Amino acid sequence: MDNQARMMGILKPLARPSGRFYVLLVLAGAAVAWFLFYAWPFQLRYGLIVTGLADWGSGGGVPWGVYIGSFIWWVGIAHGGIIISASVRLFKIKSLAPVARLAELMTIAALTIAASFIIIDLGRPDRVVTSVIRAFPLSINHSPLIWDVTVITLYFVMTGTYLLLTLRRDTHMLYDIMTGTRLPPERRSEVYAMRRRLPPFLAPLYRRMHIGYHQSEDKKVEQMVWFLALGLIILAPLLLHGGVIPWLFQLLPSMPGYFSAIQGPTFLSIALTSAMGAVLVIAYVFRRVYGWKELLPDRTFFVLGGALAFFALLFLWLQLQQIIWGSYAPSLGVAKVTEAKVESPFYWTAIGLVGASLLYLGAQLLYRPLFSVSRTVVAGLASVLAVFIEKALFVVEGLEYPAFRLYQAVPGQYSTTWVENSAILYGVALLVLLLMVMAKVIPVIEMKAEE
Amino acid sequence: MEEQTMAAGGSNADRFGADWEKRASDLLRTAHYDSDLGKQVAKDALRLVGGELSEAEFFERHHGAYVKEFGTDKRPVISDERLEKALTESLQGGYVSRRTLLKMAGGGALGLLLGYWSWLGSRAAGTVAGAAQGGLPGVAGAEEEPPPVTTKQYGMVVDLERCDGCIGLGTFARCTQGCSAYNLTSPGVHWIYVFSFKDENQDAVQFLPRTCQHCSNPPCLKVCPVRARFKRPDDGIVLIDYNLCIGCRYCEVACPYGVNYFQWGEPGPEPGFPVKARDRWVEARPPRGVMGKCTFHPMWQDDKATSGRVICAAICPRQVLQFGDMNDPNSVPNQYLKKKREEKGGYISTFRLLEEWGTRPSNLYIGNQPSAKARPVTPPITYEDVGLVSKRSDVLQGPDSWLWFKNAFRGD
Repeated sequence: MDNQARMMGILKPLARPSGRFYVLLVLAGAAVAWFLFYAWPFQLRYGLIVTGLADWGSGGGVPWGVYIGSFIWWVGIAHGGIIISASVRLFKIKSLAPVARLAELMTIAALTIAASFIIIDLGRPDRVVTSVIRAFPLSINHSPLIWDVTVITLYFVMTGTYLLLTLRRDTHMLYDIMTGTRLPPERRSEVYAMRRRLPPFLAPLYRRMHIGYHQSEDKKVEQMVWFLALGLIILAPLLLHGGVIPWLFQLLPSMPGYFSAIQGPTFLSIALTSAMGAVLVIAYVFRRVYGWKELLPDRTFFVLGGALAFFALLFLWLQLQQIIWGSYAPSLGVAKVTEAKVESPFYWTAIGLVGASLLYLGAQLLYRPLFSVSRTVVAGLASVLAVFIEKALFVVEGLEYPAFRLYQAVPGQYSTTWVENSAILYGVALLVLLLMVMAKVIPVIEMKAEE
Repeated sequence: MEEQTMAAGGSNADRFGADWEKRASDLLRTAHYDSDLGKQVAKDALRLVGGELSEAEFFERHHGAYVKEFGTDKRPVISDERLEKALTESLQGGYVSRRTLLKMAGGGALGLLLGYWSWLGSRAAGTVAGAAQGGLPGVAGAEEEPPPVTTKQYGMVVDLERCDGCIGLGTFARCTQGCSAYNLTSPGVHWIYVFSFKDENQDAVQFLPRTCQHCSNPPCLKVCPVRARFKRPDDGIVLIDYNLCIGCRYCEVACPYGVNYFQWGEPGPEPGFPVKARDRWVEARPPRGVMGKCTFHPMWQDDKATSGRVICAAICPRQVLQFGDMNDPNSVPNQYLKKKREEKGGYISTFRLLEEWGTRPSNLYIGNQPSAKARPVTPPITYEDVGLVSKRSDVLQGPDSWLWFKNAFRGD
């Protein structure tokens, strides 16, 4: 694939949208609007009573449900971006380079959605800014929820900076294509072909995004991005999803389903499983829609599938640890919640999906002829779904089996309402919407050719 | 105080007959502040008008009582200059408005009582102004919070040997009934909840009332992201500032006792009394979207006349709940414990709920701790039988969404 064909391919999504694009945009937009302008205001007007939540204890419900489950799910998915990007930069895994940018965009979108679920879950979201800022200097010392907010904000800022830095060179190139006049004759037709792909109204944006750019900065930016990647690859897995997110739960002895020192690695394995799955699905959609068989080659999917297999293996292994620990000679509270877990069809659905994905992906790693891109993507989709089920179940079941066992006369029960279902749909639709819009503005594959 | 006042105003003493006392009591009954103090101020104000007291004397006389009653008193008037200063301050949104002060100084007895009333009102208004001037109340409060080692710790001795869940009286859980009636909590919200259970090898149903334990190491306070949950340093009561809480329900998840009840929907009617204690909205049922739980009535504890009392303990027909300062050997609960121990020949069985969790709960239970085999049972008379709801999730029903849709597009 020569450079010209490659560039033309990369610029494809930036061209005038098709009818199908608009149809999907309207559908995704409608789902988002339905939640933001009908379901959520309904909840704001009447309170969280419109959800299936209730008080644990004598109340016979669970105070956290699918909102918190979704929050963990989306934060987990957001990890895909940086794991892939950083592995490309730090460990020179070239086969993942084509999906690096796409994964970063997914990270930004998924983090936004995750943060919104925290707001959606609050009883008084109007107070969140004033109350949190007011108490921050003190509550940062002891509230795991504030640790979360802090680390996620840091993660968001670092990922955003990372993305903006890597975009400087690309936007400079785009701006040059759009406005460059002193073109050598042999490149003219080539540049004019590319220019036709680009919507002129984006030129001012591109100009601003590479403000002060000079070619000599490329090397410096490369170094900065390298250090950011190093920071992120430590921060995101070890402190965020293997840190403050599980700490929200695992530090609470009140709920035996949460209270466990192994929650950090468990959360991380689950998060990375869903992250790899999500990147697989998104990359596949772009490959199909824009015919990017060469830009997003089979090799990339194979490697992503291999990574997914590895994380799925960890996922299942850590589940095994918990079940063995919770059933051999457990304390009463742990016994109860483990029993509930292994009797839950939801749990086995999740385990079954991940197990099946692992079996297939593992087999194709060992025996290459089994490999197919679409089957790998199906395994990815199955993993993403499995993680959603597992996460929601984890939150709810933990609260259904509290340590204070005198409450077993009023066991916690939970089922979602239409408002919560709308919120789940809103999350997915918002990801689609954000990716669609971002793909129309910035190139989702880095323009710099691989040497 | 009474004797001193009488001595000082002996000539006017006959003015305050039984009728006056009754009228004053009637007027002051609904105010949740010390009515005795109100009456004293009224009497002395009349003496002030009669020239028996100087203004400085008048203010000095009740300064201590004011501080005790209302937390802080920013007008320690000891000289005429300082009185003047206090008056100036009052005009700038301080404590006592000049209008009220004039009423107190110059009005008749009835006007004085009204003045006392409106002074309470202006005080409430003054706190809002004060908060606006003095910056963010939450931060100020939080910064002043010392470590949870307190000299005083309100709590309860709960004598399970006396508790029959009120079944013997043909009802159930009078404590819960009193609590929800006073605090106007929503159906199914049991700030004091009575467990009914059978332990192994026992036939009789046993009862265990559970309030908030007002822990000395409260997990709810640790996890609160906005420090809406706080422990009062001087009496150990754990409270929620309804004006700060963002409704994340993390405290509810962290508390091992299950004492928190979130306000999922529209709350019930407004309580008919001021809900602020020490300038923070912490009393009675919380507003929508905010966490609530047993409060130990901070407003009562701050009031000389009612301190050391809580509604559940006061209403309990079997004197199961002994409320008071757990750190004071002469307090009601500790005296009760001592008496009980003497009665039983020196030994009684006591426990604290889930003590092994390290929460350092305040309540001490007399009786046998429910074992791990204890099974909850349905009591002979249930919460439903006495007009309450035992399981809140049954009654948490949101409004009809379709109706809302129709209303939203009706255009009014």
